[in-house]
Amino acid sequence: MGILGISKKGVALVLTTQLLFATQTATMAQAEMLATENAIDKYATHADRGYLMDALQRDDVQAAMIEEGVDPAEAEARLAALSDAEVEALVVQMQNDTAGADIVGTLFTVFVILLVTDILCFTRIFNFTRCVR
Amino acid sequence: MDPTARFPGAATRAQVEGVPRIQQDAFFCGPTAIAMVMQWAGSDIQQDQIAELAFSPRAKGTYQADMIGSSRRLGQLAVEISTFDQLLTEVAAGHPVIVFQNLGLGIAPVWHYGVVTGYDLERDAVYLNSGQEDQMVLPFDLFQRTWQRAGNWALVVLPPDDLPVSVAEARVLSAAAALERVGQLRAAETLYQTGAKQWPDSWLWQFGLGNALYAQGDLRDARAALRRARAIAPDVPEILSNLAHVEAELGG
Repeated sequence: MGILGISKKGVALVLTTQLLFATQTATMAQAEMLATENAIDKYATHADRGYLMDALQRDDVQAAMIEEGVDPAEAEARLAALSDAEVEALVVQMQNDTAGADIVGTLFTVFVILLVTDILCFTRIFNFTRCVR
Repeated sequence: MDPTARFPGAATRAQVEGVPRIQQDAFFCGPTAIAMVMQWAGSDIQQDQIAELAFSPRAKGTYQADMIGSSRRLGQLAVEISTFDQLLTEVAAGHPVIVFQNLGLGIAPVWHYGVVTGYDLERDAVYLNSGQEDQMVLPFDLFQRTWQRAGNWALVVLPPDDLPVSVAEARVLSAAAALERVGQLRAAETLYQTGAKQWPDSWLWQFGLGNALYAQGDLRDARAALRRARAIAPDVPEILSNLAHVEAELGG
């Protein structure tokens, strides 16, 4: 028996327990805080189910945005603001070329048609047309 | 369409006061629409600042996804709506609503963003601020056509202490989490607090509040929020895990 009357086995046991406790505390402190977004996906009813996109797909979209003339860092920031489902929606919008712009962005060849459709209440391109209902 | 018959439950007329009419720069109807609703809420942000976050040069316009993303990056609550009833309900509650329209035809589309600021069922009129100095007035039929051709897309953009009235709780929660995602932590905190008052029995608001406070380094208030979450829902592992994490950092 040692000076303090503690057996070797006893010391080993104490040391092991201390090590275990230290590891647990370290693990707890290192463990990430669980994100609100994931909790919402899991627990909120009727929440938009996340469409899962992998990193490569996001990279593709980022490349497309850069081709759009968006600065690379800005493209990254814009994508980071969107959920996977929203990035997917953006892809569709880019493919369909539906970017809102201007009232005065119209082809001359359809000018007359649009004048008529304005009057018929199908469209609203010109300020001066009054719609006949 | 007879608007009064079509919307029997709606207020006969509504007008949101104080939405500025901003003359848009070329192709900037998207940024202008966001600028209008943000200035209405008290900001002094300008369309060109928003354009940096939203405009796509090659397309010479703004994609709907970027309308949402840029609003979030500016600390706003941004939630999509898609029905005429939702639109009228929001306007009647005093909220201007950004709408996406095809003002042209399917074969010759003219994509455009405007802001609905009011309506009058009896006069058959929908009022929009549309990037021009004059107000745009459309009969209900025509407005519906232009909106339907654009997929009935609309966006409610509000400061984080003002909740949309026509949207399910889970969607507002997602909007709050999105603010966390872009690092708008103060805005997320405000929205979580507002939501917690509106839905006091729903632990996710306190949970989100705890996370937003933690991310800002306010550990004590984060712990308080997570404890409130736990009081509402004692057995949710995510709450217990995050609370343990915060408590460990605070030294138990």
